[in-house]
Order: sequence, then structure tokens, then C-alpha cells
Amino acid sequence: MDLFLQQLLNGLSNGSVYSLVALGLTMVFGILHVPNFAHGAFYMIGAYVSLTIMSLFGIPYWIAMLISMFAIALLAVISERLIYHPLRNAAGLHQMMGAIGILLFLVAFAQVVWGPNYQQMSSPYNGAISIFGTTFTQQRIIVIIATVIIMLILHFFLTKTMIGSAIIAMAQNREGAYLVGINANMVVMLTFAISGILAAAAATLASPINLVFPGMGDLVIMKAFVIIIIGGMGSIPGAIIAGYLLGIVESFGATYISGDYKDVIAFALLVIILTVKPTGLFTRRAY
Amino acid sequence: MSQLKFKITDMSVNYGPFTALQGINIDVKQSELVVLLGANGAGKSTIFRAISGLNKPSKGEIKFSEKKVNGMSPDKLVKLGIVQCAEGRKLFPEMTISENLRMGGFVHRKNKKELKTMMEHVYELFPILKDKKDDHAGSMSGGQQQMLAIGRALMSRPKLLMLDEPSLGLAPLIVKQMFEIIQRINKEGTTILLAEQNASAALKIADRGYVIENGQIVVTGSSDQLLNNEEIRKAYIGA
Ligand SMILES: Nc1ncnc2c1ncn2[C@@H]1O[C@H](COP(=O)(O)OP(=O)(O)OP(=O)(O)O)[C@@H](O)[C@H]1O
Ligand SMILES: [Mg+2]
Repeated sequence: MDLFLQQLLNGLSNGSVYSLVALGLTMVFGILHVPNFAHGAFYMIGAYVSLTIMSLFGIPYWIAMLISMFAIALLAVISERLIYHPLRNAAGLHQMMGAIGILLFLVAFAQVVWGPNYQQMSSPYNGAISIFGTTFTQQRIIVIIATVIIMLILHFFLTKTMIGSAIIAMAQNREGAYLVGINANMVVMLTFAISGILAAAAATLASPINLVFPGMGDLVIMKAFVIIIIGGMGSIPGAIIAGYLLGIVESFGATYISGDYKDVIAFALLVIILTVKPTGLFTRRAY
Repeated sequence: MSQLKFKITDMSVNYGPFTALQGINIDVKQSELVVLLGANGAGKSTIFRAISGLNKPSKGEIKFSEKKVNGMSPDKLVKLGIVQCAEGRKLFPEMTISENLRMGGFVHRKNKKELKTMMEHVYELFPILKDKKDDHAGSMSGGQQQMLAIGRALMSRPKLLMLDEPSLGLAPLIVKQMFEIIQRINKEGTTILLAEQNASAALKIADRGYVIENGQIVVTGSSDQLLNNEEIRKAYIGA
């Protein structure tokens, strides 16, 4: 029972991080119809920014997270302006090449600035707490709660504000959005900024549990792609649900099948779900 | 209200190597209801797309109240009051009716009161939209979607409203209602440019018309002149 609860918590906290990363990826896909391969690098840089300002200036964890969110939003918007925007009328392949260029650049940048080593991020929640007689890592609880709060804020923004709804509108009908007076550039930049914010939050939440290193985004982004394919490309609820699903299945798979297969489970899940439902869990209806 | 003047001079539009429109001249005055008649593929939607900034003309000029507006982005044109209810409706299918209408007022989002008044007005024109306001746009019938599309366009308080084949695919009874409502919107002061294949119905409510064939304007005149024109009767009315 202890083991079960612990694995459930591990699954939920990993799933939270996956969902946050996948959310940004799926939103950008919904608007641009381009898989942003650089998203994992945004995640990685987000971790380094938090780590650096915490260790260099002694800035508290949550403030560091806010600064990192802002920095990665800016990084994402600059990438959009410099790379995606000039390529907006080119074939999709060119944009993917641009994305890989950003990815390689940022990983090399991290290697030069922070070095190739694994680094540890401390958080105020390094201890363990005991609930119903089972011990949990505090940070994992923090990850779960913070993710729910971030998702609620995002939900409120996307559904209750006109600017936020403009993102949804543009994903549902691009020309329809232009014709009600929505500025395409504004929406694209805003979407990239949000994806950056989510990536930085996810990275800062996950880093005290995992480690910070230049390749930390690679596996996360691969799984995020699996998640948005499972959830239905461009679907926001799909990304959330599939993110938690993957986290939980991985966690239990690692315990009850074998830890060696943890990272393969994502792809097994992908194959199984696409076999049963080739369009993913939440298909955006085509109109 | 300031006098509105809308004028297209010698406009051409290409799709790649294909010339879709050539030498188009259209002018519309304040409070007029002007119809563009033309068969499938004549170029009606292309004219609207060019006016709305979705396609860039390769030649010519579009002026709105003495201001040159070709080359402006679609959102700026909507802010100026040039709004279209497009072919295919282009609704937000997974949003509800009321959300679609709310998005229609995007350019007036700061003015909550005005949005509310406009929404009430749209509900009054199309009571069915109010009854179904929480239904998803994608789940409605064609006629209801068309009403929503017109309502959404009205939400941005157009000065010049373009309606692209609003009667397309609708049942005859609904078509009749649709034209009555278009006439009412015009009577309430909105200048309308209407693209239609249904010539007899459109000319009954229009002041003037242009007939488009193969991307060129072939005849223009008042509705009476066009209704009495032998060739037009043959080609578009079938009588
Ligand atoms: N995106 C496009 N690319 C290439 N050609 C196009 C495109 N859109 C329209 N055309 C062509 O331009 C011409 C005018 O088309 P348009 O859609 O403006 O006609 P229409 O009068 O609106 O017709 P309908 O009554 O069928 O809506 C047609 O020959 C059409 O095939
Ligand atoms: Mg058309």
C-alpha cells in the first residue's frame, strides 16, 4: 500500500511536469501547425536560469521561478520573431529545420556557459513529510499543487479573457480569427510566450527532483511529443490528461514491470493508444 | 454619422500565375445595399478577400473614406469598420454561440457596455441564437450557422458589411428570412456589399448591382435595370 501510494505520487508529479511541457508544445502546434522541437531546450534553459539566479544572487525559489518564466517567455518570443516568423510562408520542413537550429544552438550555449556537468538545484522543500503513515518527498507534493494552480490560471486566461480566447479562436479557425479583428502576430507571440512560461515553470519544479544538465530537455521533449500525439495534436485537455496518464503508467510500470523499461513505456503507450484510436484521445474536429 | 465612401479602382488579384480578377472598379456609398452577382468561380469571394486584406491585390487601389486601405492587415481593416461574413462562415466550431459572438466584438473588447448592447441587438435579430446560446457553433444547422456568422460580423459594428453568399445551401423558407434580415440591417444604417448567385432575391433588396464574369465586371446598373436586362434574366434568373 505504501509503495502504491508512493508510486501514485511519483506518477502524478512526473505527470504534472510532462503536462506543463506538453501544454506549451500543443498550444504552439495548434496555432502554427509546426512541432516546435526547440521546446525542450526552452525547458533546459529555464532550469539553468532559475539555478543560476538562485545560487548566484541567493534569490528565493519562487521568485527565481517567476524570473525564469519571464526570461524563457522572452526567449521563446525572440525565437519566434527571428526564426519562425520569417519562415511563416515557407514549407513546414523549413520551420522544423529552424526549430532544430534553435535547439542545437541553445544546447551548445548551455554547454559553454554552464558546462556539461550535472548540477543540483536546491529548493526549500527538500525534506520528507508523512501522510497516513507513508513518507513523501515534499517537493513532489509542491510540484503537483503548483501545476494545478498554473493550469487553473491558464484556464482562466484562455476562457475568461478576450486576449486569451483569441489564441483558442485562432487555433479553431485562422481566417475566422483574422476576420473578427484578431492580430495574428500578437496571438503567435503570446502563444510562444505562454509556452515559454510553462516550460520554465515545469523545469524549475522538476529540477530539485531530477538534475540540471544540458541534455535534460531531450527525453522530456520526446515524451511531450508522445503526449500530444496521444492526446490529439493541438488539444489542450488532451495534453493534460495524456501527460498525467504517461506519468502514472511510467511510474507503475517501473515498479511492477521493471525500472529498466521506464523510458520505453511512453512509446509502448503511444503504440497501444494509436492502435486503438489512431487520431489520439481528443481529436480536434476538422472544419 | 460621417459620409462613408468606398471605392475600388482598377484592381487585379492573382493566385500565383492565375489572374482571378482584372480591372475591377466598384464604388459603394453610405447606406447603400450593393450586390455582386456572378456564377461559381466568377471572382466574388476573391473581391471580398482582397478588400479584407486576406489577399493582396497585384494592382489597383482600395479607398475607404478617402483613405487608402489596400495593403492593410485584416485586423486593422476590421478596426476601421470593414467587416466580412465570409464564405464557409469561418466560425469557431468548438466555442459556444455566445462565445462566438463575444469574439466577434474583439476590437471593442475594452467597451463591455457596447458589447452587451450589440449582443442584445444580435439576439433580437436572430432569436434562435439566444435560445441556443450555450450550444457549440459546430453543432448547429447550416441556417443557424449562417445567422451566427452574420451576428458575429455585426458584433464588430461594421461600417461596411460584406456578406458572401449568405443564402448558400439554405432551405427556401430560411433564404427568404435571411434576405429580410439583411434588408433590415441595411435599413438600420449599415452599408452592405452582398455577393450572391441568387439574383432575383438579391436584386429585390439591393439598390444597385455589378455582374461579374471570369474575374471582370461585365454589367453594372440599378437593380431595376439589371432585373430588366434580357441577358441577365437568362443567365442568372432563368426566366
Ligand atoms: N486559393 C486559390 N488558389 C487558386 N485559385 C483560386 C483560389 N481561390 C479561388 N481561385 C480561383 O479564382 C477564381 C475566382 O474564385 P472565387 O472563389 O472568387 O469565385 P466566387 O465568385 O466566389 O465563386 P463561388 O460562387 O463558387 O463562391 C476561380 O476560378 C477560382 O478557381
Ligand atoms: Mg465565393
